[in-house]
This record gives sequence, C-alpha cells and structure tokens, in this order.
Amino acid sequence: MIAKSVSITRRLVVTVLLLELLSAAALVVAVTIHEHHIQLKTFDANLAVRAASLMGAVQDAEDKGDNVILDPRGVRLDKDAVYRVTDERGRVLGTAGDTTQLAESFADSPGFHDAKVGKRSYRFFVLHGVRIIDPGQPDGGTVHSIAVLYGIHAGRVWHEVIEAIRFFTLATVLLLGITAIVMVLLVRRYLSPIHELAHEADQISSRNWQFEAPASAKKTVELRPLTDALESALARVQRSFEQQKRFTSDAAHELKTDVAIVKSSLQLLSMRRRTAEEYSQGLAVSLDDFTRLESTVQKLLALARLEQHEESGETRSLCSLRNAVEEAVHLSRPLAELRRVEIMLDTLEDATVLIDGHDADLLCSNILINALQHSHEEGKVQITLIQREERIILTVKDWGEGISEEDRPHLLEPFYRGDISRSRKSGGTGLGLSICKAICDKAGGSIEISNHEAGGAVVTVSLPFADRQAASQRRSAWIKAE
Amino acid sequence: MRVLLVEDEQRLTENIVAALREIGLAVDSALDGETGSHLAEQNIYDAIVLDLMLPGKSGQSVLRDLRQRAIHSPVLILTAQEGKESIIELLNAGADDYLSKPFDLGELLARVKALIRRGKGASTSILKMSDVELDTVHQTVLRQGQPIDLSPTEYRILEYLIHRPRAIVSKRELLEHLYDFAWEHHSNVIEAHVSNLRRKLNLPGTEPLIETLRHRGYRLSEGSAT
Repeated sequence: MIAKSVSITRRLVVTVLLLELLSAAALVVAVTIHEHHIQLKTFDANLAVRAASLMGAVQDAEDKGDNVILDPRGVRLDKDAVYRVTDERGRVLGTAGDTTQLAESFADSPGFHDAKVGKRSYRFFVLHGVRIIDPGQPDGGTVHSIAVLYGIHAGRVWHEVIEAIRFFTLATVLLLGITAIVMVLLVRRYLSPIHELAHEADQISSRNWQFEAPASAKKTVELRPLTDALESALARVQRSFEQQKRFTSDAAHELKTDVAIVKSSLQLLSMRRRTAEEYSQGLAVSLDDFTRLESTVQKLLALARLEQHEESGETRSLCSLRNAVEEAVHLSRPLAELRRVEIMLDTLEDATVLIDGHDADLLCSNILINALQHSHEEGKVQITLIQREERIILTVKDWGEGISEEDRPHLLEPFYRGDISRSRKSGGTGLGLSICKAICDKAGGSIEISNHEAGGAVVTVSLPFADRQAASQRRSAWIKAE
Repeated sequence: MRVLLVEDEQRLTENIVAALREIGLAVDSALDGETGSHLAEQNIYDAIVLDLMLPGKSGQSVLRDLRQRAIHSPVLILTAQEGKESIIELLNAGADDYLSKPFDLGELLARVKALIRRGKGASTSILKMSDVELDTVHQTVLRQGQPIDLSPTEYRILEYLIHRPRAIVSKRELLEHLYDFAWEHHSNVIEAHVSNLRRKLNLPGTEPLIETLRHRGYRLSEGSAT
C-alpha cells in the first residue's frame, strides 16, 4: 500500500492560514470585548449627560409652594428615550414611556441599570440630585431632592460593536486570501533548492559520479544534512565502485599476463622443429605456466566466492582453528625447508570458529606462506594461538624486512604487492592476503599487519568463537551491509 | 641486430628472449623500468620492446625519457591494459607500434623485424646492395643470383653492413649490435667472422665487397656495380 503523499507546501500554507484564522478569531473576540466596553462607556456617558440635562431642566414652578416642574423643551433627548423625573415627595415631574414598574425596582439606587421595557432591553441611569429654589432667600431657599431615571434602548451599543466586528472580519478574510497566495508563491520559491538538488542528483550515473550540491541547496540550513549525506554517501559508493573497477582491471591484467606466458611458451616451442628432448622440456615448462594461470583463476574465484553476499539459509560449517594451523604448517614444510626457515609453534590453544574447514586452511596457509616468503634465509617464523575474551587470536611473526608505513593501508587490497621492485619475480598474485581478509570478514573477525619491535612483520588474526554464533553472524551481516 | 626487452614477468621474458634469439637477434632484457631505462640510454639497440606496467619506473616514463634524450630506437609497446586512449597517448609520446597481451609470438617477431627494418630506412624484407640480395625473412643471401651459404653470425654482420651502405662501421659498433650481454665477445672474433664472410662473398671475377680500413673498421663498398 502506498502511503498517502504529503505536501510540505500544503501543510505550511494550511498551518499558517489556520494560525492566522485563530489569531483573527482571538482578535475579533478581543475587539468585541473592547469595542463593547468603549461603546458602553460612551453610551453610559451619554446616558449620564442626558440625565444631567434632564436634571437641569427641573426648574422653579413659580408657584407658592416653591414646587418644581420639568420643562423638557430645551433638552435634547434620544428619540426612543424613556424617562421619569420625580421629586422627594414622589411627585412625578415628567415622564416618557412606561416607567412605573421600573421606578419601583431601582429608582432609589443611583447608577446604571439594565432592564426590559416591553420586549426591548434598555439601559437606565438613575441620577439623584438636589435643586434649590430661591437660593437667594434668607432661609436659603427650598431644597428639592430630584431623582432622574433616564434610559435608552441598549441595542445601539451592540449595533456599534457588530459594525466593528464586520469590519474586522472582512479585513481578516481579505488578509487570509492575500496570505494564502503569497505563502504558496513564497514557499514554492523557498523550496526551489530541493528541486535543484533533485535535478543535480538525477544526473548521477555509474559513468558520471560528479556530484556537487547546488549552491542554493548548500546555503539552505535545512538542506545541509541532506546534501552532506548525499555527498558522503556518493563518495563512499564511488570509492567502492572504483575499487571494484580497479579489481576487474587488475584481474584482467593478471589473467592476460598469465595467458600470454602460456601462449608464448607453446608458440616458442612450435617455432621450428625440435628434438624430442626439447619438446618434452618445453611441454613441462608450459605445464608449469599453465598451473600458474590455473592458480590465479582459482584465487580469483575464491575471492569472488568469499566476497559474495551470503545466501539466506546457507548453513555455515565450523572448524577447529588449531587443526587448520597444523595443516598449514604441514603443507608449508617443503617451502620452509627450501628457504631454510624454522617454523616455531608456540602456545597453541584451540577454538572452534565459524569458518569452513577449507577456508580456514586457506587462511592459515596463506599467512604462513606469506611469512615464509618474506623471511630471510635461515630465519624463523613464529606462530601463536591464544584465547582472549571470547576470541581466538592467531599471530604469525617473521623476522624479515617488515612492512613500510606507506604499504600498510594497501596490503589487504587485491593485487597489491608491497615490494614493487620484486613484484612478479617473487611469485604470488597479490591476492593471498585479500583472500585472508575476506575469510576473516565473513567470520566476523579481523586481520591486521604491523611490524614488531624486533624487526619483521606480524600478522594478527582475531576471530570470535563459534559458540557465539548468533552474535557473530549478526556482526558479519553488519559488516557486509557496511 | 640487437633488441632490448623490458618486461617484469620473468617467464614471459624468457620466452620472448628465446624467440628473438631464434630469429638471429641479439637480445638483452631488463625486469624493471630503471634497469630498462639505463640500458636503453646506451643507444645501442636497433629496437626496444617495452612493457607498460613495470616496477620501479613505468613504461610510459621510460619511453618519455628515451625520446627526451634523442634516442630514436624504434619502440614496440606491450600492454595488457584496455582502452584506446592510452595507446593513442603512447604513440603520440613516441612509441612506434604496440601489441596487447596475450599476443601472438609470431606477430611480435614480425613486428620487431619490421621496426628494425624501418628504423634503418628499408621498407621491404629483401635488402639489395649492388649485386647482393639479402632476404631477412628466410635469412638467405644471393650474389649475382647465386646462393651463398653463411653462418648465422656472418649473415648478421652482412645484414648490419647492408643497412649502413658506404658508412664506416667500427668493430666496436658491430660488437654492440650483434652480441648481447650474454655473450663473451672479443674483437678478434669479429675479425675472424668478417674475413670468412669476405671470402664466401668473393665469387670469381667480382670485386671484393667488404673493405677493411685499418684501425677504423669496415665498409661495404658498392664495388663494380657503380
């Protein structure tokens, strides 16, 4: 099943728009509250002013009882205003609208009140004030306590608030639209380094390994891990590809040379008629040359087999490393005697390792023959086999020339011959140690070559015990994967 | 004629040397680039067979150094490498011919002989000088149409002289071009061979072909034919 595709552009745009919408909503709420507050304040101020003007409209009735009357003519009142003005004796000086009920409920408490008149909600202001009639009289005049109840329809507040909300909402919608368009364009532009990177990466093929991340992608902080990873992964692949290519070319060179020898030997023999003795000599030489070709082919095949990825379900056999060492020593005796090199067997502890018996023999004899070839005449080669922390360590020490620092990293590469001046004369194809490395890798072990203090090379092979089979198998799988 | 073989593979060297000697060439061989370069610089070789992958010094640099020192010996490259680029590069750098491994030994010999011939300015395998005819393939000599039976050394001396008509060839030069380092040689051996050769070439009623110039050497004169 193919997972649903995800678009970063869409996600970004949607996220930004959602956030914008949320903040717009929050803004509208805040604006509503604020606007309502302001409008209410204005409204209340208006109420208070009107109530005060009503209060101001209470004047001397010009009668004997020093009574007061309300003359609302000079007062500007809101058109649907409801009011009631009373004096301290409860006399209604003036009224508009149905206010009797209201007066009973809150006329005595000054301040703002909300109430319904009919079905409409009104807001009222109750103002208690004092009017003094004839203040110039010696008795100070007559003091009247006037109560003004003034109210107007509260819907007006909400009307203003809704107007403000409508304006904000419209502005927000417009802003959202613009943001959406700009976002899409910008995000697309900001993501263009990805397309450029993809285009560049698309140019890579086995023939063209050149990969230089575009400057735009390199500049982008978010893309840098990707470009770095791409570049280093490619470098690794290219390295192994080139290694493979070099191996193929070296192998071809090796095989062609060996074939050239066999061919020239036979052609030399057939150049003219020769004596029977010459023929038999020539054939023997040709056979030797052919054996060499055969051994090169065998080594190449061994290496190819070892480096192949393991087939699943392959059962791997075990063997005793000590037996393999003893077998190798037995097989190398003639060479050792020829070169008059003494093989010294030191501690020989045993361990079962996860290597096929044939490969183990190959490993041990390759290392031993290598050591014998690099020993001086009448020299010695020392072999030890020691258990250490769940691993078996095989060391083969010689007292020859040792190895140079510059050769050291290449010694395990196929066809690498350390001593270039001796090259092919010393025999050997330069595959022996590569085969050893392949065997060790397969068994989850390691091999390394260094010099020892006394002068000469020492090969150290470290292999895990086979009873930790599962662990080592996992490890070798990991090595292959790497 | 004397040939230098520079090849690091011992067995291949043995075979090529043996084959070249079988066709009457003197052969020296070097197993590494340094020695090869050193030998070639003595400028005594009539052809050089050069492998490319050499220890010490690569075939390319051996060739380049030779041409830089104005040594004009024809060079045949032996290569096991793939790719035409390197061949073009080599021919441009002064190589005269190439063969890829594994090669045919007969072809190698024919190419070496052709290179020697070309190097001496001859275009066919039959060399003629006044009434003498020398077939380099079958190694036979005719004078006035009559076959003359020569020993291999005598034949080689005549072949060398015929390539250098009218020039004075010193005994030393003859020694250098006819014998490789494997031979124990003395100048009086040359004298004996030359006097035998002169005697065999002398047919009744003909001018002596080989002139001896005291302390200087030999000269193949065109004799009565001029």
